Amino acid sequence: MTVLALNNVTKNFGETKIIRSVTLNIEQGEKHAIIGPNGAGKSTLFHLISGLYNVTSGSIHFKEQNIQNKRPYEINRLGLARSFQVTNIFARMNVFENIRCALLWSSGYRYSFWNFLGRQKELNEKTIQVLEQIGLKDKMLIPAGELAYAQQRALELGITIASGAEVIMLDEPVAGMSHSEAQNTVELIRRITEGKTLIMVEHDMNVVFDVADRISVLVYGEIIASDAPEKIRVNAQVKEAYLGEAATNA
Amino acid sequence: MMIFLKKSIVWVGYLIVLLILPQFFDSVLAVSIFNQMAIAIVFALSYNMLLGQGGMLSFGHAVYFGLGGFLAVHALIMIESETIYFSIIWIPLVGGLFGLLAALFIGTFSTHKAGTVFAMISLGIGELLAASSLIFVSFFGGEAGVSGDRTFGPSFFGVEFFQDIEIYYLGAVWVFIATLFMYLFTQTPAGKMANAVRDNPERAEFIGYSAKQVRYISFCASGLFAGVAGGLFALNYEFITEENLNAATSGRVLLMAYIGGLGYFIGPILGAVILTLMNSLLSNYSDLWMLYLGIMFLLTVLFLPRGFAGFIMMHQLAWVRHTMKSLVVPYLLTGLPALLFILTCIGLIELSHTGETELNYLGFSLDPTAAIDFVLLGMIAGSSLLLTKKSLPQLRKAWESANEIPEDAPSEKLE
Repeated sequence: MTVLALNNVTKNFGETKIIRSVTLNIEQGEKHAIIGPNGAGKSTLFHLISGLYNVTSGSIHFKEQNIQNKRPYEINRLGLARSFQVTNIFARMNVFENIRCALLWSSGYRYSFWNFLGRQKELNEKTIQVLEQIGLKDKMLIPAGELAYAQQRALELGITIASGAEVIMLDEPVAGMSHSEAQNTVELIRRITEGKTLIMVEHDMNVVFDVADRISVLVYGEIIASDAPEKIRVNAQVKEAYLGEAATNA
Repeated sequence: MMIFLKKSIVWVGYLIVLLILPQFFDSVLAVSIFNQMAIAIVFALSYNMLLGQGGMLSFGHAVYFGLGGFLAVHALIMIESETIYFSIIWIPLVGGLFGLLAALFIGTFSTHKAGTVFAMISLGIGELLAASSLIFVSFFGGEAGVSGDRTFGPSFFGVEFFQDIEIYYLGAVWVFIATLFMYLFTQTPAGKMANAVRDNPERAEFIGYSAKQVRYISFCASGLFAGVAGGLFALNYEFITEENLNAATSGRVLLMAYIGGLGYFIGPILGAVILTLMNSLLSNYSDLWMLYLGIMFLLTVLFLPRGFAGFIMMHQLAWVRHTMKSLVVPYLLTGLPALLFILTCIGLIELSHTGETELNYLGFSLDPTAAIDFVLLGMIAGSSLLLTKKSLPQLRKAWESANEIPEDAPSEKLE
């Protein structure tokens, strides 16, 4: 079943065409990576899907509902959660509160001002579970802004997955991490996205080929190939546009 | 359970302090100051729901205070004319409901964005209301304002509210209720999400919450409690004028919340107490008290960005580690010359301001025409400033060693 369908999506900023025309179908349970050189429009594509930007033309369907130009919170409530390339957390709140806030809507609390959070046993236990998953339980009373970089990235991931959304979008989840940190994060991603749909933008090719079961290559706002990893690896067009460069650099 | 018990003790303590204060200070002046404090505490706490908790900088919070107050006075008038019939103990609630009503309406368009947009709209609404108050004379009473009488209506168990002290106890109960509800609000999903939206409105939208809706709820709650404060004002003074909803009142509540400390629930309470004291006591000693208030605000912003509450909370770690003792001497070594510097500066200012031939300052008799007095004060000020500056490195060192985290110690948790 197709869970997310982009049809001829374009995005212009003034005269500049950032996304020229993207048509992409993502199946339920798929682990999909979007790769491409810098400035190809990967993050823009994420912003379009998650509702941060409005599309210029084209349509986006999520679980058969039209979601283009919907507000981010409306899209999130349908079951799509995303992380950010630049850490985007609630800096002055502690780690525990960060995760608990991320759980609130999906736990049905909405805008309640009559439930006291200290009394919500189930919610608090669930928060602790997420904290254990991302390895931040012993840091839970520290303000999020004071965490080390790798821990902030883990928290970023935790906020994204806490709600239990069925589609998870991760924007460069291992950027700026050391090799071992990246490896831990990949393990974590694998664990928490089990049985879920994952869409990921990532520059680290090891991670991409490790995690993804389908890869789309975005170059200058267009998808030039979308296929299984082993086929992408040998695709001449892709090699020229992207992998060749990366290979010589490495 | 332990935490719940601990918190309950704090609240019971708060209630007891509120109720026994007049036993220790029972002069007319003291009770009048307590009444002002009570009003200021509720008002400043309601302001902190916007700025401290929700990240909305408002320059027009007096609108909700004033509107609540005006309706409360009109309710008093209606009780007097027997149009409506209920005890005046409910007047703060009337004010609150009207503050809420105003916020419900104004919030629909002012809470779309925080930051500059919100600040400008709040300023505009404030000016609009201040201007209308001179236009719609039947409701606002023009420059003279409107006045009522709180002694009508059914008595409350025989209490007729002739005296300020009776109003104090009524106010104390309302302050307690309002404080409790404002605190409880911070513990709810809406209250926590207000913090989240303050920190990062963009991300809040990606965890399912409309930043606007979250702000709107805080805004309305804040309007409600500002209205309660306005109702308390109406009960205490029995009159209200345009001055109570204009920019000056809005500015004062901002000062209170800021000086007290925005990030802490207790901050605005401290700020309200400090500013009310300065307002009523300092003004007896010097007509320059507004200047000192301004300087204090400036110093707070520069050196204590988290306010007095933040300054107190800074010592949490040292307190837990029992290293506070090691800070006493360094604090005195810096604090005493600093105090001397401040006092001599105030002396200099007062001396150049006074119109009398002699200024009696802290037991010293100073002559504003004698250059020698200026020079002397200037010298004391200069040397005490030098001493303060010289003592700073040792204070910093003591602070660092008091807060140093031992390398091999298990990580301590602050609760």
